[in-house]
Amino acid sequence: MERGSSYPNAADTSAAAVPEETTLSIVQQRFKADETVHLIFEAYQIKGREHFEGLLTLVSSSSGGTYAIISFSLLRTPLTGSNDLKINKVFPINTSFKLTTDNKGSKTEQQFELCTDDDRPSQYCYHPIRTELGSDEFNEFCAEIDSCKRTMWDGGSPSEAVLNFRWLDDYREIGEVKQELKKRESEYIVYKDIVIYCATWNVNNRPCWDNKNTLRPWLACGEKAPDIYAIGLQELETTAKAMLNGNQMQMYATQWVRKILENLHNGVEYEELQSVRLYGIMLIIIVRKQLRQHIVRCRVNSVARGVFKTLGNKGGVAVSFQLNEANICFVNSHLAAHMGNVAERNDDYKAIDMSMRFEENGLQLRTINDHDHIFWLGDLNYRIQEPIGQQRPGPMSDAQTFELMLQFDQLRMEMSYDRCFKGYTEGEIKFAPTYKYDVGTDTYDTGEKQRAPAYCDRVLWKGKRIEQLEYNGVMEIRESDHKPVYAIFRVKIKTRDDYKYKMVLSEVLKAVDKRENDSQPQIITDRPIIEFGLVRFNEPVIRDFNVYNDCSQQVDFKFKVKDLPNDICEKWLHVDPRSDSLMIDSARSIRVRMLADANSVTGLLKKICSTSDRCDFDILILHVRSGRDIFITVTGEYQPSCFGLSMETMCRTERPIGEYTLTEIKELMLDVTPMYRVPMPREYFLLIDYLHKQSGQLKGIFQSYDRCQPLSSQFNAVRDWLDTWSDDKFPGTPQTAAEALLLLLDLPEQALLEPFVDDLLATRSKADAERYIDLLSEPKRNVFKHLCLFLCEGIERGDYDANNIATIFGRVLLRSSKCNVTIDYHSRCSEFMQRFIRIENPDTVVGGNGLSSASLQT
Amino acid sequence: MAKKTYDLLFKLLLIGDSGVGKTCILFRFSDDAFTSTFISTIGIDFKIKTVELRGKKIKLQIWDTAGQERFHTITTSYYRGAMGIMLVYDITNEKSFENIVKWLRNIDEHANEDVEKMILGNKCDMSDKRVVSKERGEAIAREHSIRFMETSAKSNINIDRAFCELAEAILDKTSGRESAENPERVVIDRGNSDKATSYSKCCA
Repeated sequence: MERGSSYPNAADTSAAAVPEETTLSIVQQRFKADETVHLIFEAYQIKGREHFEGLLTLVSSSSGGTYAIISFSLLRTPLTGSNDLKINKVFPINTSFKLTTDNKGSKTEQQFELCTDDDRPSQYCYHPIRTELGSDEFNEFCAEIDSCKRTMWDGGSPSEAVLNFRWLDDYREIGEVKQELKKRESEYIVYKDIVIYCATWNVNNRPCWDNKNTLRPWLACGEKAPDIYAIGLQELETTAKAMLNGNQMQMYATQWVRKILENLHNGVEYEELQSVRLYGIMLIIIVRKQLRQHIVRCRVNSVARGVFKTLGNKGGVAVSFQLNEANICFVNSHLAAHMGNVAERNDDYKAIDMSMRFEENGLQLRTINDHDHIFWLGDLNYRIQEPIGQQRPGPMSDAQTFELMLQFDQLRMEMSYDRCFKGYTEGEIKFAPTYKYDVGTDTYDTGEKQRAPAYCDRVLWKGKRIEQLEYNGVMEIRESDHKPVYAIFRVKIKTRDDYKYKMVLSEVLKAVDKRENDSQPQIITDRPIIEFGLVRFNEPVIRDFNVYNDCSQQVDFKFKVKDLPNDICEKWLHVDPRSDSLMIDSARSIRVRMLADANSVTGLLKKICSTSDRCDFDILILHVRSGRDIFITVTGEYQPSCFGLSMETMCRTERPIGEYTLTEIKELMLDVTPMYRVPMPREYFLLIDYLHKQSGQLKGIFQSYDRCQPLSSQFNAVRDWLDTWSDDKFPGTPQTAAEALLLLLDLPEQALLEPFVDDLLATRSKADAERYIDLLSEPKRNVFKHLCLFLCEGIERGDYDANNIATIFGRVLLRSSKCNVTIDYHSRCSEFMQRFIRIENPDTVVGGNGLSSASLQT
Repeated sequence: MAKKTYDLLFKLLLIGDSGVGKTCILFRFSDDAFTSTFISTIGIDFKIKTVELRGKKIKLQIWDTAGQERFHTITTSYYRGAMGIMLVYDITNEKSFENIVKWLRNIDEHANEDVEKMILGNKCDMSDKRVVSKERGEAIAREHSIRFMETSAKSNINIDRAFCELAEAILDKTSGRESAENPERVVIDRGNSDKATSYSKCCA
């Protein structure tokens, strides 16, 4: 069509037609802001015998820090926008990623396979964008992938745990709708402020009932009542005896939760969301009651460290949940102790960071880093590294001294070297070291070991839109050798505006539906109605029509098989091709041949009679794969002929059949009254009369008969001679006349001796049989008698062989419509016929004196 | 490509005499557009439209059939597998209304036994040419216990509502007869006044 003509031929389309920048920028539009398309490589995807043109794009995500190949198919070429790209398959470049080349391929067409975790390899056939560059470009593609692998894995052995491919979820299992919603997030996402209170305290094995005093100075000190409390405790009870007694530990834990709940901000109703404990390390999450309903997917887990790295006296516990649209994670850890164990602390951190997983869809999938907001608190145990030769800092009180000490804080040093807590932030520390105090005092350790004061207890965070409001230690709580620490944050939580979301969702659904509707494969035909005009018996007519591919993708079409006649078309039609594929903007001619012949005319006449109005020859269903069906009406006017008509119908005519319209003939066919204009059809009489007169020249006739054999070349002339009651000389040979006679007898739906075929075959004598013959309709009875008389005479005169006649005519006249045909059916037919064509005493011959009687006066 | 963008897939079918507006109804529902030029559907077209019902994304695959008499035998083979059937007549065309009975018989013979049905009297904007009263439509629907609505694809009356109600009926069935509060209901058109409020939301 017009639109289509501007397209290049489908075979020529390649990205080469478009400047590469354009393709790249269009592809880039399909990705998020922090994802970069590095390389586009055009390739055919091979699926079985078919292949599809597509683009392989190498993409990286800066948030995920990983690379992947995303395979697109093109809905339109050249590309006009990112909507023309359809994602086929996502290949994360992970440890299971493989690119294998097939060296058997020729230089210009090199096959390679891409392989990923779950699937069978998808095969791609190399097809360069710039042909003259040939395999160079493929090598470049491979080299680029290798370089990505190096970037990600730094030469070391790769571990799936550190590679984050979650950004790819937007392009695979998650549907188009989610992709679109994600893209338009800014339209319905608002940020709501919430206050998160993080607190940590190493309680030094003191059960909480020792704390006669209130915890309010610690837990209720902020100006504003927090929305979420995350309270981490360490050393709930670390004696071996207690650790082995689960019930006792649990009792301690329960007591602590109760105590904490009693000491929260006044005037707000709180409830415990979740607690998690690993021996003495416990994390309690408490939320405002009215916030609870907005929290989903709450999960916990722990990672044990400490003795043998597994005992659990050290380690971490964590809680993960989703609040509105934000994923939040709290971690409470107790890392390795003692001044010298910096590396162990780092290792503990790394182990917790890497192994902590939360369940998602039944799998331990979500890592700590898969959260929008992460708060890491606990007794991290980093100390103040005493500078060599410098005196241990004495008791301190002012900010300047804290600042001085913090210069030697191991955590800050390690973080500055990126050896732990990568990406985390800590607020300014303006409080005294929280360790180690003489219990019940604000005095640093005066005991034997005289441990140096240190900032063991810390709160760190990672993520966007987090603002720290306060960070402090609490001196007036003196039950432990550690002072409690708290940090208050204001976090802007990603929240869905339900109204705006609904609006966007409905727009997205509309757009996605529209894309699907518009990308439906379409073909058009130039003619929904195939008009054959006048169709005559035994004369094939051919009509061609065209189908065009009108859309922007390859289209497969086929004619659908219908229930009736369990084929794509009726017997009198032939359609070629029955199925095919059409490239964009290409056309295909389809040929339909109509032929009402010996094999199909009965069916056609039956269909005509059973249709109330004008009868179409057929309706073809042209089916487009994944698309609509088009009905192709095949129609025309069948010119009635005596062939295929019943003897009764023929006896109702008053003029040559050729002068009747189909509608008139149909009326005669549907007429069931026993009113006939002639005793037997003229057409039979004419043929038999002709043959009778040719006596002596009938050598070789009635030797064989097969309905499926092609008819002789003079047949159509004989047809017209019969259909016009022509006075002309018979236009054929005796052979043609014999052929026509057998066909006339054979074609009607009912055999001549129906409905008594079974009865007649059961009879033992001619006399028995004649009783049934007398019951036949008048036309049938007369044709039968007339025919037998003619055959008898012929045999008598030696025109043809009695056995042949019995076999051929027996089969035609006694053709059974029933399927229970016995083995000796044919011989019985033949026997039956023998009885009627045997030469007998002329006096007993039915019908009297021969064929000369011109008894067909109307 | 990303595969599943919906929770449920319902296959719906539009049937009725030629020219009653089946294609226009579908076009209004899927593209929110209307064209008054009549192009006879020669075959089976389909469009998809995703709606949200009770928090579920339901993808409706709607098949539009040729209404011409000569195709009737062939279109009945498409009834199988349809979960819902919209039977459309034209309120300005007596014959199309009389044929409803014939179409219902076709459904009985060829469609799944539990198919959800709805009768639509289309072109209800053309009140000056009306020959079939709303009461007659309601009566035939009541007689066969089928939902009924008068619609106008041209004026966008009740189109979204009709599809959503049919989809909802199928959803009721699909989700294990949880619809105890409205058992075997015969829904009669509640009038046009509320069409824009409660129902258009779910399909908007």
